[in-house]
Amino acid sequence: MIQNTIGNKMQNVCDLSYLIEIVAGKKHLIKGIMDSFLIQIPEELNCINDAIIKINYATIKSYSHTMKSSVSIMGISMLVPILKEMEDLGKAAVNIERIKVLNMELNSICKQAMEEIEKVINNYI
Amino acid sequence: MNSKNKLSIYIVEDNEVFKLALKADIEATFKDRCDLKIKSFSTGEACMEKFKLENPQVVILDYHLDTKNPDAADGIKVLDWIKEVNPDTNVIMLTGDDNMDIALKSFHHHASDYVVKTETKFQKINYSLLNLIKNIEAKAETTIYKNMLVGVAVCAALLIGAGIAVLIIKPTLFL
Repeated sequence: MIQNTIGNKMQNVCDLSYLIEIVAGKKHLIKGIMDSFLIQIPEELNCINDAIIKINYATIKSYSHTMKSSVSIMGISMLVPILKEMEDLGKAAVNIERIKVLNMELNSICKQAMEEIEKVINNYI
Repeated sequence: MNSKNKLSIYIVEDNEVFKLALKADIEATFKDRCDLKIKSFSTGEACMEKFKLENPQVVILDYHLDTKNPDAADGIKVLDWIKEVNPDTNVIMLTGDDNMDIALKSFHHHASDYVVKTETKFQKINYSLLNLIKNIEAKAETTIYKNMLVGVAVCAALLIGAGIAVLIIKPTLFL
């Protein structure tokens, strides 16, 4: 179940206040980081999705670990425990079915995050 | 000490989003204190290629550099290489793993500091950088004072030597 809904309304998954703070509000930097995020996340998701198909636990672990840093910059706090669990399961090389469930949530939340960012990115030109 | 000392920093991190954010944060935090020159690299190999030419004072180095390319050098290998080329380079090791073994390994390989990528990672990195900057500034000041002292000692020695030479050649000069 995607835990990013309240009633019938979708709540935002991104909290950009952290990003705005660390770049001291500089719009061109915010846009640059958002652009990188929009390129990087689909690549990382593809790698995880592919690793799950191939049951490659080492790759699942590596990319779950890496994605924690990316999502934290965008304030997507709800992904941190999901990625942590995926990383731990990847490290232990167990429970691919649980990893698949977590991955579905990961993909869904990332998709929403990217949509949110695409909506606001032009405000930072 | 001048308030705008030059500081050259390398960031070696294969996560592009994190790397950009870190660079921006460091620039925003230290722009008034230092004349910063920050370069960032996605691989240890790219860093090592430029390192010998530019010799940065600080390297912020990710522990896991081999996520996207398993054949790439990891953080410890890069750390060892840096320390071999220039043992005085300050290296801050970064990792997402809150793991004592990794911390100990980093320090054993002569990292100056070790920062875990938690929610307060940027504050911790900046705190670590601030300590390094203070050390670099203190060393620079020490060098200046040491050179001054050597200069004064040499002058004094020359004066004493000249005085002795005059006394030997013309002992009656001061009588």
